[in-house]
Amino acid sequence: MRTLIHLELYKLRTVRAPLVLLGLSQLLIVGGVTGLVVSSDTLRTADAAPSALAHAGLASLFTLVLGIMAVAGEYRNQTITDTFLSTPRRSRAIAAKLVAYAVAGAAFAAVNAVTAVVATRTWWSVEGVPLDLDEAELWRTIAGCAAWNVAFAVVGVGVGALMRNLTAAVAAALAWIALVEGIVGQLVGDLARWLPFSAGSALGDLPGRVGGLEPVSQVAGAAALAGYAALFALVAVTTTVRRDVT
Amino acid sequence: MAQGISIEGLTKRFGSITAVDDLSFDVPSGRVTGFLGPNGAGKTTTLRMLLGLVAPTSGEALVDGRRYQDLDAPRRTVGAAVEAMAAHPGRRARDHLWVLARTAGAGPERVDEVLEMVGLTEAQHRRVGGFSLGMRQRLGLASALLGDPQYLVLDEPANGLDPAGMAWLRGLLRGLAAEGRTVLVSSHVLSEVAQTADHVVIVNAGRLRYAGPLAELDADGRSLEEAFLDLTATS
Repeated sequence: MRTLIHLELYKLRTVRAPLVLLGLSQLLIVGGVTGLVVSSDTLRTADAAPSALAHAGLASLFTLVLGIMAVAGEYRNQTITDTFLSTPRRSRAIAAKLVAYAVAGAAFAAVNAVTAVVATRTWWSVEGVPLDLDEAELWRTIAGCAAWNVAFAVVGVGVGALMRNLTAAVAAALAWIALVEGIVGQLVGDLARWLPFSAGSALGDLPGRVGGLEPVSQVAGAAALAGYAALFALVAVTTTVRRDVT
Repeated sequence: MAQGISIEGLTKRFGSITAVDDLSFDVPSGRVTGFLGPNGAGKTTTLRMLLGLVAPTSGEALVDGRRYQDLDAPRRTVGAAVEAMAAHPGRRARDHLWVLARTAGAGPERVDEVLEMVGLTEAQHRRVGGFSLGMRQRLGLASALLGDPQYLVLDEPANGLDPAGMAWLRGLLRGLAAEGRTVLVSSHVLSEVAQTADHVVIVNAGRLRYAGPLAELDADGRSLEEAFLDLTATS
């Protein structure tokens, strides 16, 4: 199992897509923090600094796409055949991917956190505003964003394993975040706070993002996302074990 | 324990389509066996069932008496190349092989060896996306050879090879059989395997049409080609 996990990480290191996604994450974070600063009347509100830092959590979009590539990308390049020839007990192959992509998600999370903190501190000092954020709140936000990054990587592995078509899976995931979750949220009332992106926002300590509704607590968001990650991990294994690879 | 590759009553239905229909044959050890039939005859589905990639509707395909997925060291027992384009275009050839080598229990020196065997030593640090179809076929063969397996299962390895490549492939397969290995190689063109295989299995519409020595195919005085076309004519 250790070998399989190492091999999945080696596979990630020997292609360029993960680095591209990591680079795009940093652009999103820096752009997001900058946008917040230039569009805001004052950075002195209590929400301003956590909102800026939480862009590290929004970069979960990219760990989600990374996760989707784990299985769907292998179907696209037909390397899934060789993967299963090497590891005919497919549940082991998928389990190794789930662990490896969680690790990769954590690596993304670390870089994302550094970028978010540096971008926030830089802008706040440029604007001459003292960063009104105690250590505990800073770490709480950073840790929540990191957990969100990791959970979405695992969810992505499940989505990719379920759909197998890379383009369709990425499109579906992005459509869910941009559009579908909002529509579903309006249909389910209070439960909307527990949908994946809303739960992630709560975990990432993203202030007031859930349209109209007070977000669930950070701990509740963490529990919800852990549940989604476990569910999608299960989906990844069960859908992969039975299907014919033609 | 039963030795060799053995197909017994193998059947696969995809919905209402029967791709493989009660197919039974044995693959003789230490020789090259050509697995022949027109496109859509069920060759690829049969090979994929043999490799545990497709689940049979009924029947079984066994290697040394066991299903592929039950083998202790699958890549050291069976080397397979069933997908000509199967590599991440952005990964370098050597990295691609190294990933597979680790699961085949092979070291870096074995990667060097197989690269040499298939003539890709010069190209090993190039990204696979820039490879021609012929080079990808060679890369697939290299990956099959990594585990130094007793059995080789190759699906249409000649596709995309130029005449020189075909000659090279024939030499490689003959050499592997001469070392005592069992080679099962599919093709839809009889002439591709006629110079290499001494045993042939011919299928059409998922059913077995002939299994036996190539030499006996033209026993009644017809040419090999005529006999093959007769056997694979729409029934």
